Amino acid sequence: MNTLFIGTEKSNQLKYLVVKNFKSMIRDKAQLVWLLGYPLLFVVLLTFAYGPEVLTIMAPGLLITGPVVIISQLTAHLAEEKESGTLQRLTTTPVTRKIILISGLVSQAIVGAFQIVILLIVGYFLGINYHPDGNLFFLFFIPFMVTITSLGFGLILASFIKNASSAGGLAWFVILPLQFLGGAFMDEPLVELLPTSLAVEAMREVMTFGNSSIAAIGLPLLSIALWGIGGIALGILLFQRKAAIL
Amino acid sequence: MKKLEYAIETHNLKKYFDEIHAVDGIDLKIPKGSLFGVLGPNGAGKSTTIRMLSTILYPTSGNATILGYDLLKDRKEIKKRIGVCPQELVIYPRLTARENIHLIAQMHGIPKTVYKERTDELLGRMNLLDRADSLSKTYSGGMKRRLNVLMSVIHEPELLFFDEPTAGLDPQSRRVVWDFIKNFQERNSTIILTTHSMEEADDLSDALTIIDHGKIIATGTPQDLKGRLGEGDNIEFKISNPEMRLDIIERARSLDFVRSGKNLGKQRVVLNALGGLRRISEIMDAVKVEMYDISVRANTLEDVFIDLTGRRLRS
Repeated sequence: MNTLFIGTEKSNQLKYLVVKNFKSMIRDKAQLVWLLGYPLLFVVLLTFAYGPEVLTIMAPGLLITGPVVIISQLTAHLAEEKESGTLQRLTTTPVTRKIILISGLVSQAIVGAFQIVILLIVGYFLGINYHPDGNLFFLFFIPFMVTITSLGFGLILASFIKNASSAGGLAWFVILPLQFLGGAFMDEPLVELLPTSLAVEAMREVMTFGNSSIAAIGLPLLSIALWGIGGIALGILLFQRKAAIL
Repeated sequence: MKKLEYAIETHNLKKYFDEIHAVDGIDLKIPKGSLFGVLGPNGAGKSTTIRMLSTILYPTSGNATILGYDLLKDRKEIKKRIGVCPQELVIYPRLTARENIHLIAQMHGIPKTVYKERTDELLGRMNLLDRADSLSKTYSGGMKRRLNVLMSVIHEPELLFFDEPTAGLDPQSRRVVWDFIKNFQERNSTIILTTHSMEEADDLSDALTIIDHGKIIATGTPQDLKGRLGEGDNIEFKISNPEMRLDIIERARSLDFVRSGKNLGKQRVVLNALGGLRRISEIMDAVKVEMYDISVRANTLEDVFIDLTGRRLRS
């Protein structure tokens, strides 16, 4: 039976795979610099370029721009596992493809959470003006939902890409439209139903107007959640195909 | 429960990749507890066969029984009981040897105390213990290959697939891996070994099958297969006048002590003959062709392959 719940054996497998992913990430110094340095660099450069006032106006979009880049990280990670044969090797053990994929998602989601925290803290010290009534939980949670949704996009993309060196680059064909069409760098989105557009809208309510009510952000959050669930479900479905592993 | 006679039984197993018939109807019965070699040139279909039997690929048609389980229906049960050592070096470069081995053990649900102890023992046997906690990306090719092998055995599988386990290894490391494989078989595991090294197949296998172009062309013990060529030695030589090679083979075949003759490439001729180099030399004198690079040796599995296909295993 296909179920969302996993037993002890599977949860142990998941735990060990997540630990493995983290060890691999942390020990790759270039990757570590990219993972943690990218959001930092992003905010610092924009502050120097435009100053804290402009940064405050752009901040809701910028805090959504960062998490979208995780598409590139997940795609590259899965493509590398495919290319090196490690994914295939794991499939000869009792672990299921679903658990392998979920482990990749969990690892990247944790990294994404760290990136958001770094963005929020560094942004604060550089002068981004968070509304005093802005709910701190939602300041974190909205970008985090974008992270989860982006992982779904990454999974879909990775199910078709076999080459690790091109995976990260090809991901930008999805990242850039999500950022630009979602209005991350502008006053308003060009396409309103994108998860990034919805997230920028919700983020602006919380961050700029200090409004975290269900009426203000409920519908955008629900819509992002639907994007996320749909994307991840489709991604897992596509990735579980035999051809996606080989 | 009935005791299993065969670890693997395949029934007309096929794998097609579009127009390419990588495996074209293989029927095999591999006795439980045996070390079974699958010999063939590159591209013969050995690895594809192993990949199907080890649940990596689905067959295009046909089926197999692995340790009593249906290959198509009971893949989960099969995965619990097999170990696969792939031809490529499939290790996590940013994990240590110990961590790489532990990960596979963890996927099999082996208790921590058991796999920790077992890992140390295995690392010691493969001379990797002193580098066990270094990242595997810093290892030499030989060390990576030995780690590749260890990752396939940590859970002590009933059935082990070794796909070219010694490819690219120096003689000393190859001997370490061979000893390890032989030792593992003594624990009553069934081992399937693919190789294009006739020496490896001859030394290690209890029985073997020779595959070419996706089909089985011979099966038996190494002794049986070599015995098919007769008791004599092989005389292999080059000739100064390549156009004469078919004529020379024809003349040599008429000699009572020559069992078979093949031409290999443009100049090389191999004869299976019970002595009689002097009389062959007389034939060469008669047609005024010089012989050089002459070798006289006992039958090998390569000669069996040449006899069956008319070409070398590594051609």
